[in-house]
Amino acid sequence: MSTQTISKSSTWRGGNSPFKLSYGKLMMWIFLLSDAFTFSSLLVGYGAIRYSFPSTEISQIESLDLHFAENVQDKFANGADAHHGEHFIPALREAGVFNEIQWPSPDLVFNHFPFAHGLHLPLIFVSLMTLILILSSVTMVLGVEAGQRGDKKAVSKWMLWTIIGGFAFLSCQAWEWTNFITAGATPWANPYGPPTFAALFFLVTGFHGFHVFSGVLLNIIVYINNLRGTYEKRGHYEMVEKVGLYWHFVDLVWVFVFTFFYLI
Amino acid sequence: MSSHTNQNVDIHDEENYDPTVWVPKTHSHGTKDIWGRFWILLGLTIVDVGFYFVMAPGMLRNIIFIVLGIVKAWFIVGTFMHMKHEKKSLASMIILPMIVIIFFLIWMMYEGNFWGTFK
Repeated sequence: MSTQTISKSSTWRGGNSPFKLSYGKLMMWIFLLSDAFTFSSLLVGYGAIRYSFPSTEISQIESLDLHFAENVQDKFANGADAHHGEHFIPALREAGVFNEIQWPSPDLVFNHFPFAHGLHLPLIFVSLMTLILILSSVTMVLGVEAGQRGDKKAVSKWMLWTIIGGFAFLSCQAWEWTNFITAGATPWANPYGPPTFAALFFLVTGFHGFHVFSGVLLNIIVYINNLRGTYEKRGHYEMVEKVGLYWHFVDLVWVFVFTFFYLI
Repeated sequence: MSSHTNQNVDIHDEENYDPTVWVPKTHSHGTKDIWGRFWILLGLTIVDVGFYFVMAPGMLRNIIFIVLGIVKAWFIVGTFMHMKHEKKSLASMIILPMIVIIFFLIWMMYEGNFWGTFK
């Protein structure tokens, strides 16, 4: 194999890179496009199935006080620190809000926040998760920028923050799953309503969570390689950019999981 | 007789393009843009949450959420993934298929609504 120059009669005739990208980075873009198709198929399936169920009507819940710590104690006498689901779900099933026909409103399902037992706090925790992921995307792109300047120390610093952000997000997701599972949800059963809701939740957030997990592993590999001076020796920090592309993609997917699963 | 693993090969040299080692020269665009985009993304997420609590559920609210999602995606792909500094041909190769997907997504939500009438 030699580095002979092939005659460049036109951009697309070989011998140069039409996109002005290295092989690895172009392949990362193509992989991300195919991965975007995979996630799109999940979200398209979710959208179609979710709208084949009627939604929870506002009139069903506006008369209910959803802060269960204070007022449902008398009715269920479980004590203030009993698990949220223990009286919340039976009460809402009794009120006819959670049933097998209507799709449960996500703000009635994901309304927990750590250390705030029994309070109805919809969307707050998942917004925090979104913030964590956006922040870790920012630290990643700062690492990429440091790599473009060849600043090894700064790359280490920002990669470490990105890894911490990734673990923080995964921990939040583990907490969210734990709440949902201890309430009795499995891929084939759902105390909040139709079982399909739980199945799709586990499938889509699980698939995304696995991407985050793989991203954290890749980030750790890049972090260690950088500490060992691999990229300094190689003369460029393109590997940081490639892994960064993947990490931003994971953030991008979360933007849409957040939109379709929690907002809509 | 130079091998592509050879140290003498200039990996940035466009005239000696070797697909196994060639990488284009990169230069930093600074960090100001990055932090600017962070505040925009944070703001848009807060706007999302605001709409969620203020507006009644419905198709209009869903459309607002999808549009805001696309705006957020625009900033993530453009600045964080560096797309605005890449060649136009690459950007269209990636973005055009996704426009079709967004159309398909909205279409299938309408279709799902129709299936519900058969249940």
